[in-house]
Amino acid sequence: MRTRTKLLAAMLACLMFLTVGSAFAEGETVTINFWHHYSAQSAENETLMNVLIPAFEAENPGIKVNAVSHEWAELHDKVLVSAKSNALPDVARCDIAWLPEFQKMGILVALDEEMPDFAEVSGKLLDSAMSTTVIGGHNYALALNTNSKIVFYNKAMLEEAGVQVPTTMDEWVETVKKLSGENANGQQVWGWNEPALAGWNICPFIWSFGGSLTNEDQTVATGYINGPATVKAVETFAELVKAGGITGFNSGDIPMTDGFGTGRYAMMLEGPWKSAELAGAYPDVAYGTAPIPAGEGGSISVLGGEDIAMFNTANKEAAWKFMQFMTGEFAETEMAKCGQIPVNKAALESETVKAADYAPFIEAIQTAKARPTVAAWSEMDNDLTVAMTAVVSGEKTAQEAMDELAAKWDELLK
Amino acid sequence: MVTKSRLNRAQLIALLLPGLLVFAAFTVYPIIRLFWMSLCDMSFSSMLTQPFNGIANYKEVFQDQTFWTVFVNSIVYTLITVPGQMAIGLFTAILLNGIKRFSVTFRVINYLPVVTSWVIASLVFRYIFNTEGLLNYFLWKILGVTSSNIRWLDTRWGGISVAMILGIWKGIGWNMVIFLAALQQVPQDLYEASDIDGCGAWGKFIHVTLPGIKGTILFALIELTIGGFNVFTSIKMITGGKPAHQTDTLLTWMYYKAFSTGKFGYAAALSFVMALCLGLLAIVQFRMMRNRDN
Repeated sequence: MRTRTKLLAAMLACLMFLTVGSAFAEGETVTINFWHHYSAQSAENETLMNVLIPAFEAENPGIKVNAVSHEWAELHDKVLVSAKSNALPDVARCDIAWLPEFQKMGILVALDEEMPDFAEVSGKLLDSAMSTTVIGGHNYALALNTNSKIVFYNKAMLEEAGVQVPTTMDEWVETVKKLSGENANGQQVWGWNEPALAGWNICPFIWSFGGSLTNEDQTVATGYINGPATVKAVETFAELVKAGGITGFNSGDIPMTDGFGTGRYAMMLEGPWKSAELAGAYPDVAYGTAPIPAGEGGSISVLGGEDIAMFNTANKEAAWKFMQFMTGEFAETEMAKCGQIPVNKAALESETVKAADYAPFIEAIQTAKARPTVAAWSEMDNDLTVAMTAVVSGEKTAQEAMDELAAKWDELLK
Repeated sequence: MVTKSRLNRAQLIALLLPGLLVFAAFTVYPIIRLFWMSLCDMSFSSMLTQPFNGIANYKEVFQDQTFWTVFVNSIVYTLITVPGQMAIGLFTAILLNGIKRFSVTFRVINYLPVVTSWVIASLVFRYIFNTEGLLNYFLWKILGVTSSNIRWLDTRWGGISVAMILGIWKGIGWNMVIFLAALQQVPQDLYEASDIDGCGAWGKFIHVTLPGIKGTILFALIELTIGGFNVFTSIKMITGGKPAHQTDTLLTWMYYKAFSTGKFGYAAALSFVMALCLGLLAIVQFRMMRNRDN
C-alpha cells in the first residue's frame, strides 16, 4: 500500500514538473507545494498560475511555488492518503468543512501558536470568515475566500400575490403561506424552496430565530439544539412544510433552479453561484435578492467558502509567506475578479468587489455564522437531517426530535 | 517418467505464477488488508495511528439502527428483483426459443436495456417517477385515474420500488440470453419422449425444461443475488438514500460511511458482514439445488 502510494506520488511529481514547466533553480531555492481545487480550466487557475504565482516569486526570490490542481473530492481524499505516507504538500486550499477533520488527524499547524505575526495577519481578514479556522481555541488556517446565502425571490410572483419581500421571520411565515397554492395553470406552487434538511439549510433559520447548535466551546449540545428558540425555528419550518409552503428536499421534487426559473418556487436561500446558473438556464426570470429575514437572533445566514492551511511537514517560513500573499490585498482583489468573494478587508473595499455580481452577499457575510468546526460535524449533520426528516414527516414533534438529537450530539462532541 | 512430470510441474508453476501474483496482489492482499481495517479504529481522529480495535466496528454495525434499515432494504430488493428478472427472462427466452423469424431482432430489443448505462437509465426512471414526472402526468392528465400527483419517490418503499422496477427491467435481457443458450442445450429427444408419454406444455416445462437448465438457474441465482446486494448506482441516482437513509442499501450506506463520515473501519466491517451474508446465501442455494437433484 505504502510503496504503491509512493509510486503514485512519484508519478504525480513527474507530471507536476511537466505541467507547471518550472525548473528548480540551483542553490538555496525552496519549493513549496500548494494543492488546491480551482479547476484546471477555470479563470481562477489562470489567475493563480499566470498572475499570482509569478508575482509571489518575483517578490520572494528563492521561493518557488509548485501548484497542483485537484478535483474537490479528490483533494480531500488525497490529503487523507498522503498524510499516511508523509507526502503532504506545504499548503492547501481546503473547504471549511475539512479543517476540523484534518486538525483531528494532527496534520495542521496551529498558526496562532507558531507564527509570531499571526494576530497582525489575521486582523486584516474578516472575523466571520476567520471563525471557520478556529478549532478548540486555536487557528489552524487563514480564511481565503467566502460565501453565504441570501434570499432570491421571483419578482412577478410576489407582485401577483401582492406581498412585499419579508424582512422579519413573522412576515416570512405569512409571505410563504400567501405565495403557496395553485397558479393560473392549476399547478401547485410553493412559497419557499429548501433542497435539503442539513445544517447548510436549517442553520440560518435556527440562528435567525435566536437559537444555537452548541455552546460557545462546541462541547455541549443539550440546552442549545433542543433549546426553546431552536425548537421554535424547527417547528415553524415544519409547519410550513406541512401547510404546503416549503418543499424541495424530497427525491421526487422539482430541482431548485428549474422550480425557481419556471415560477413554481417563489423564494429560496442561495449562494452567489445561483446568479450565473439562472442567467444560463433561465435568463428571462426577473428576480431580486434580499437578506434572510430577521428573527429574534437577527438576520443570520450560514458561511461557506475555503481556507488556506499549512501542514506540519511544511517549510514553515516559506509557506507562511505564501499564505500571507494569497490572503493579501493584491491576490484577493485579483481572485475577486474571477468571482471569488474576498475575505481581506482592504480587498472588500475595492471597486472590483463593489461592482461584482456578488455585491449583495457582502453584507450577509459580515453577520453569517460558521457551522460547528468539529471533526464529528459530518456525522452531526447527518443526525440533524434524520431528525428534521422525522419532524417534517410528522413522525416526531420538534421537541422530541431535538431532545434525541441533543443526546446524540453530546456523545459526538465528547 | 518422474523427471518428466517434475518438469511439467515446474513449467506449470512458471505458467501459473504471473496470474497467481496478480491475483494475490489485487484480490487476496486487499481482502486481508480490508479485514485488518475492519478490526482497527480508522476514522479522522485515528487515521495516522489506526489502533487495533478488536470487534468494536462489528459491534457498532450491529447496534446501528440504520444498518438494520438498509439491510432489510437490500434483502427486499434482492428477494424481489432476482426472481422477477429470472422469471421474466426465462419466459422471454422460451418465447424466443420457439420462433424462427425475427429472433435476432427480438433478442437485440430485449438486450438493449442491459447495455444502457445505469446512470442514464436511473435518471430516466427518476424523471418518469418524479412527483411531476411522466407517470403522474399520464395517470392524472391523460387517463384521469388520479386527481393529484402521487409522491412515488418520497417514501421508503416507494423509492425502493422504483429502483426495483429498474433493476428488473435492466436484468431481463441478461437472463434471456443465458437461458436461451441453456434451452438450446436441452436434448430434443427428451421433448419427443415426453410427447409420446402424453405430456402437455406445462408438464414439459416442469419435467424436461427446468431440470435441463438447472445448472444455469443456479448460476443465475447466485450471480443475481450478489448483484442484488451490490445495488448502488440506481439508488444513488434515484433517491440518494432520501429520506434520511431510509432508501439506502448496504452499498450506498457503506459508501456514505466511508467517504462522507470518514469511518473506514465501520465500512470495512460492514463489507465483511455483507460478504458473510452472501457466502452463506450461496451455500444455501447450492444445498437447495443439490437436494432437489437427489
